[in-house]
Amino acid sequence: MAKVATRDWYDIARDTNWTPTYVAEDEMFPPQFSDPYGIPLAEWETFDEPYKITFRDYVQSQREKDVGAYSVKSAIARTEFYRKASPGWKSLLQLHFGAVSFTEYGSVSAFARMSRFARAPGMRNMANFGSLDEIRHAQIQMYFAYEFIGESRAFDWAQKAVRTNNWVVISERHCFDDIEHTRDVISAAIMTNFSFEQAFTNLQFVALSADAKKYGDYSFATMLQTIQSDEARHAQIGEPLIEIMLRNGRKAEAQKLIDISFWRIWKQFSVLSGVSMDYYTPLEQRELSFKEFVKEFVGNQFLRNIQALGLEKPWYWDEYFLPDIDVYHHAQQIGIYLYRATEWWDVIAGVSPAERQWLESKYPGWNDTFGQVWDVITENILAGRLERTEPKLLPMMCNMVGFELTGVPGKKWDVRDCQVDYEGRRYHFGHPVDKWIFEQEPKRYKNHMGFIDRIVRGIVPAGPDGVFDYMNMGEADRGNCGENFAWAESYRRAAE
Amino acid sequence: MTDAVVFPKSNSRPGLKTWSTLAGTRKRPSEYEILTYNLHARTRDPQAPYEQDPDTMMNSWYKKHVVASPLTHPDWDAFRDPDQLTYRAYTTMQDGQEQYVDGLLEDHSENGHDASLPSAWVDALARLYTPGRYTAAAGQMASAYLVQVAPASTITNAAAFQEADCFRWISRIAYRTRELANSHADRGFVTGERARFETDPAWQGIRELLEKALVAYDWGEAFVAYNVVAARAVEEACVRQLGLAARRHGDTLTAMLADNQMKDAARSRRWTAALVGQCLAVESNRAVIAGWLGKWLPLADRAIDMFCAALPESPAAGEAAKAACAGFRRELGLA
Repeated sequence: MAKVATRDWYDIARDTNWTPTYVAEDEMFPPQFSDPYGIPLAEWETFDEPYKITFRDYVQSQREKDVGAYSVKSAIARTEFYRKASPGWKSLLQLHFGAVSFTEYGSVSAFARMSRFARAPGMRNMANFGSLDEIRHAQIQMYFAYEFIGESRAFDWAQKAVRTNNWVVISERHCFDDIEHTRDVISAAIMTNFSFEQAFTNLQFVALSADAKKYGDYSFATMLQTIQSDEARHAQIGEPLIEIMLRNGRKAEAQKLIDISFWRIWKQFSVLSGVSMDYYTPLEQRELSFKEFVKEFVGNQFLRNIQALGLEKPWYWDEYFLPDIDVYHHAQQIGIYLYRATEWWDVIAGVSPAERQWLESKYPGWNDTFGQVWDVITENILAGRLERTEPKLLPMMCNMVGFELTGVPGKKWDVRDCQVDYEGRRYHFGHPVDKWIFEQEPKRYKNHMGFIDRIVRGIVPAGPDGVFDYMNMGEADRGNCGENFAWAESYRRAAE
Repeated sequence: MTDAVVFPKSNSRPGLKTWSTLAGTRKRPSEYEILTYNLHARTRDPQAPYEQDPDTMMNSWYKKHVVASPLTHPDWDAFRDPDQLTYRAYTTMQDGQEQYVDGLLEDHSENGHDASLPSAWVDALARLYTPGRYTAAAGQMASAYLVQVAPASTITNAAAFQEADCFRWISRIAYRTRELANSHADRGFVTGERARFETDPAWQGIRELLEKALVAYDWGEAFVAYNVVAARAVEEACVRQLGLAARRHGDTLTAMLADNQMKDAARSRRWTAALVGQCLAVESNRAVIAGWLGKWLPLADRAIDMFCAALPESPAAGEAAKAACAGFRRELGLA
């Protein structure tokens, strides 16, 4: 007899719900994890994953994906490439591996929560692949980073970041713990698989991969692509859940989950991908500006996806999101450069005359705003006043995002601090949307100590090295200017 | 013309030989350690494992079921999977195993294996084999719980591969269920498994054991209930003894599939033994584990008895399965 076709047995493998009788159903599937929305089990059981793959096919295709990436020949080529790479590309790799590896590893557990508590067997199975995928993503990225550890200590952060209280890492944990790790599995899947993985992983993995290929870093490009191919598969857990929510009168709840998560992830990727693409990627290799990527991959595609599902664009889309694409990462880039010693990677200014020209062409008005701040930084460097490029004062930070409160400097000055007083404490937010998120569920966010709160309350040790000790950053862990300020020299030459 | 500025000397930061976290180890770290060791964020701050209000639902859950577990150890990250499995080692290994299973299925299919099975044994498969996908699904869920609460990434990864193994057997049993239904349309394959799992006396002990293990939310108890007790009871009764009975009835395919499933079981036992060994290095854990075993073993023994009593022509199966489970516990120093 012939082999049984997958379509003839696939449904049996997702017909695995039974009715427990030795324990209460709510004990085995606590509503706080399984379904706080009270949707009937029969509805969850209609969950139908759009992308179907079997365990047998999974292990085969995933093994094949890894064969090339792990070859010794590629490893040697990668190290050679790193040595010869421009400072910008080196910094980009340092930032990427430190910021991304541990969030990938965290997702192993987020998917496992779905495999344990989801009521739909198909979702449990797909999330099982999700956990495996995320182990792969953590491991392959740590493996790549490890190849470079002899070249720079910055790559140690691919392993150690997760356990530190570095302010960037606190910000990432605050975001991903919120959307992935501390909600019921339906909400977490909509926020993670739909908002995050469908909307944003494209940015870091597809867009950056395109830049990497242009730059000749083929192995980084290929690795990113294979990661995105996994993401594209398990990201599809979100859509069927939204459809079930909508069918069962939970549109408002689904919409709010998307509105919250989209903004939270936007802030993270705006900095991670925005700075990487518009400042760190060498000019001649830039594919598109960050803004162009966001408009195409996030704006258009995400809008198509949510509208196809019958949802609306987030309420802040036109008023706040679209304008933010023009400014947020530019503002953060300044702080990142100035506070470089508190970051594990070597920072890149990315504002040589030619680069500024490019920035102005892609972001008209850049020179009159962010450019004015860089004028001062440039002058200070040229005059040898490096101490003036490293502020001694600590910035105000957003109690939602965990990054500096920023706005638009220069001729279009627009800096705001949105505040909420809650249970005797004042919380500061960089944006009305961050404040709105807090107000949706203050109990979730209250009593969390942001980095500056920890300093103010004496949690961070005093003394000149207190902040660094708290962040587990010895001297060798602290970032420098990746170009050793040589970029400013081009202005001197221009003046001459 | 401005004066030339002397820039600071080279700002390159010298590299390291290995991750700083592994720098003190005597042996050169293995690829497994480099990619698996010490990766959890949630074990960082016992007051707020997750970066939000310390009393949110998830923070409270983790503090209650993990931080306050009676099972304690000063350094859970010291755990190492004896198989040192990485992702790519796992997919490579299981691709090989799945290729072998493909071969088994194709060979037996070509030889008309299912059609040649004795009728009574076909009924036994419908009653005792194909409902097994529910036990594998319970294993998938129980393992997934460990993945997300385990206090060390080395434990999380071992549990994640165990979870995937369970999925593997959900899939293979589903395949066999359809194949058996194709040869024997009238025996309740595909349509009858759930009712058998829920009501057939042979399965009720197993179901009770698994349902209760699934709601053991203390992470240590969840590990002991599933990895030390329930998984072993299910394997010895529903896989090994079923496989032996299959062989006696000329069903070499079920027997060989059972043998292959026991390879995954053996790997699960190896890491279970390593983790129990680590636990027993802390004296207070011995009484904690003994207390849990006192609760779980009677359920497991009863489950084995009920299942094995239904195995055709296998009068010694129940005793053999219980003895094998006891033997495993002896190896762990838990006799």
